[in-house]
Amino acid sequence: MNNARGPDDETLGEMLARRGFGRRSLLKFAIAMTSSLALPPLVAPAMAANLAKARRRSVIWLSFQECTGCLETLLRSSTPTISALIFDFISLDYQEALMASAGSAATRTLHEAIATNKGEYLLAIDGSVPVADGGVYSMTGGQSNHAMLVDIAANAKAILAIGTCAAYGGIPKAHPNPTGAVGVEDVITDKPIVNIPGCPPIPDVLSGVLVHFIAFGKLPELDDRKRPLAYFGTTIHDQCYRRPFYDQGKFAKSFDDEGARLGWCLFELGCKGPITHNACASLKWNGGTSFPIESGHGCLGCSEPDFWDKGGFYTSLAGGSGTGWRPAAVAAGIGVVGGSIAALTARNRARPDTPPASVPAAAALPPPAGTSP
Amino acid sequence: MTNYSFLGDDALIDALMMEIASLLRNFIDNREHGGIDLLGMPLSPECLAALEARLGSGEVTIRLDAAGRSESRETGFAGVWWTSHCDEAGRRVALLIEVAPVPDIVPPDICEIEGALSRLTANTNFAVRRGGNRGTFI
Amino acid sequence: MNLLEFARGPGLQAASLIMIAGIFWRVCGIFMLRRRPQRAQARHPLSARLAGGAALIATRFIPRRAFWTRIGTSVVLSTAFHIGLMLILFGGAPHILLIHQITGISWPDLPKGIVVLASGITLASLLALLLRRIRHPVMRLLSTTDDYLSWAMVFLPVLTGVLLSGETVADYGTLLALHILSVELMMIWLPFGKLMHGALVFAGRGAMGINFTRKGAAT
Repeated sequence: MNNARGPDDETLGEMLARRGFGRRSLLKFAIAMTSSLALPPLVAPAMAANLAKARRRSVIWLSFQECTGCLETLLRSSTPTISALIFDFISLDYQEALMASAGSAATRTLHEAIATNKGEYLLAIDGSVPVADGGVYSMTGGQSNHAMLVDIAANAKAILAIGTCAAYGGIPKAHPNPTGAVGVEDVITDKPIVNIPGCPPIPDVLSGVLVHFIAFGKLPELDDRKRPLAYFGTTIHDQCYRRPFYDQGKFAKSFDDEGARLGWCLFELGCKGPITHNACASLKWNGGTSFPIESGHGCLGCSEPDFWDKGGFYTSLAGGSGTGWRPAAVAAGIGVVGGSIAALTARNRARPDTPPASVPAAAALPPPAGTSP
Repeated sequence: MTNYSFLGDDALIDALMMEIASLLRNFIDNREHGGIDLLGMPLSPECLAALEARLGSGEVTIRLDAAGRSESRETGFAGVWWTSHCDEAGRRVALLIEVAPVPDIVPPDICEIEGALSRLTANTNFAVRRGGNRGTFI
Repeated sequence: MNLLEFARGPGLQAASLIMIAGIFWRVCGIFMLRRRPQRAQARHPLSARLAGGAALIATRFIPRRAFWTRIGTSVVLSTAFHIGLMLILFGGAPHILLIHQITGISWPDLPKGIVVLASGITLASLLALLLRRIRHPVMRLLSTTDDYLSWAMVFLPVLTGVLLSGETVADYGTLLALHILSVELMMIWLPFGKLMHGALVFAGRGAMGINFTRKGAAT
């Protein structure tokens, strides 16, 4: 295939061909993506054709109040795959962690990318947005993250909130939330947002969203929390391979007991799988190696909002954060006092062995008929 | 996906066989290819094995090396293929039942064949005239 | 904060405190009421009186033969309901887990099939009891808001618990929240209505038995 265009002009198909991935490789990738996105298999050829024709799309990646775990999980690829190449292809025009050593040159790149791709770039955010005290708790180049987000989101086509911090506030938002951390959707309300929660999120989910966007020009179907329905439509509980044990009532009681070794359900050890929507049980982690439950630990619920503040990780869903002993003792005391007052009031109102005043004394009664007084 | 194991594997397999039958009918009537994404179904490993056994094996197995190993095996029913795709790490990324004369991924398209002709004749003194079926030494 | 977080957090705390305060209020209030002074000498010593009290608690569970034709149906249905509820509460794995998390005490759970059967019997007997209360003219006459409310406060947790174990009507989080909230409603209502019989029935029967034995009457 002859390609006179430079790397910046070439299509995704041409770039892949240059790297040794032919039509069949791309079609196979599309088949895998349609399965992952829960699309009908017959869509795969159309997806492959659209991907082959796709041109570079600008992505600006802003990292706010985060631990860099999301970026690490998404950009570390153990094997060179088409997914990884697509990440290369999407032209990561600006990313602070990767460009840190470039200094002010990186900032110039950012402004150029925004100007060149106005209205067309994807804005990817990881990390929460602190808003307390004017947003001073996370700043880049003298500008608060909050101001940066508002500024750059204004000309974005869509926003990807990557990780639970960006989606819902995550760890920085955990009680008492000293920095006033919030998710992207609490700041930006006038742009399409896709939340890809998880602490960190599964890399395949971001691939799926990007591929859908590149191939079809639109974001995939979202649920009521703006998460891609294909990946977050079911709970961990619904897909878990240990579900038969749950249904049979076979639970591990502690981390090293017989039940745990036999792979029984971890519900009693605090697993939050029943209320957590994610694809961990089907897609798994580290190239399909395993996921927390398979490794013997209950689900933390890390893709749900406020998962840090839902009671302990080892408190089962059957329990809750009940009252402490002191408030219970106070309540008991109130009850004793109240009941005693009620009883004393009742006692003083009526004396059961005193006859009522209206009954006359025996001496005042007339003698019975036929008897003398 | 809700766990449907209480229905029994037989019911699920019968339902899938009916769907394969309707895809075959559709191909016979309209020449349209069909497919069923097995990874998208709530099938236990035992149910998958039972389905594979029910479909049986045919005469043709096609192996593909493109961004990882893939295999398409014709089942005991002509035109019904059991296709498995793995990535470079050997992890299965798709499992399909395809209803077609040959799985869609197998035949090269015309652009690839034209490209092959170009490469084949590029460094030789042999050319083939368009429309002719004989080569000519230049 | 979503419904489940409220139910497992502030809702549970408030309901627990109201229930504790209410139970202590009623128990103290009843026990501190003035009792009619006993002017006659006791026929039997204290140990016998206490034994008589305990005996009456037990014997009153089974009605006298003369009353069976009238109240037999109610007794059978009520017994079925109470036993079913006890099997669910003390034999169901999630309830044992809850008690274990609060107190540290646990015991082996019943097989799920038995708990499911008990749930069915409990629901059916609850509905049958309501039907009897509505259709029987005397029961209908005697019934107050307290009766119907107490019935509903027990029926809702059992119903939501059955739906939760089935997990088909709505998603797990919603069903769990509804179940916990219905239990919290019951906890709030418990001290102030007829549900308090759960504690008072034993005190009432025991007091009556002690009194009867004191007077030398049969128990």
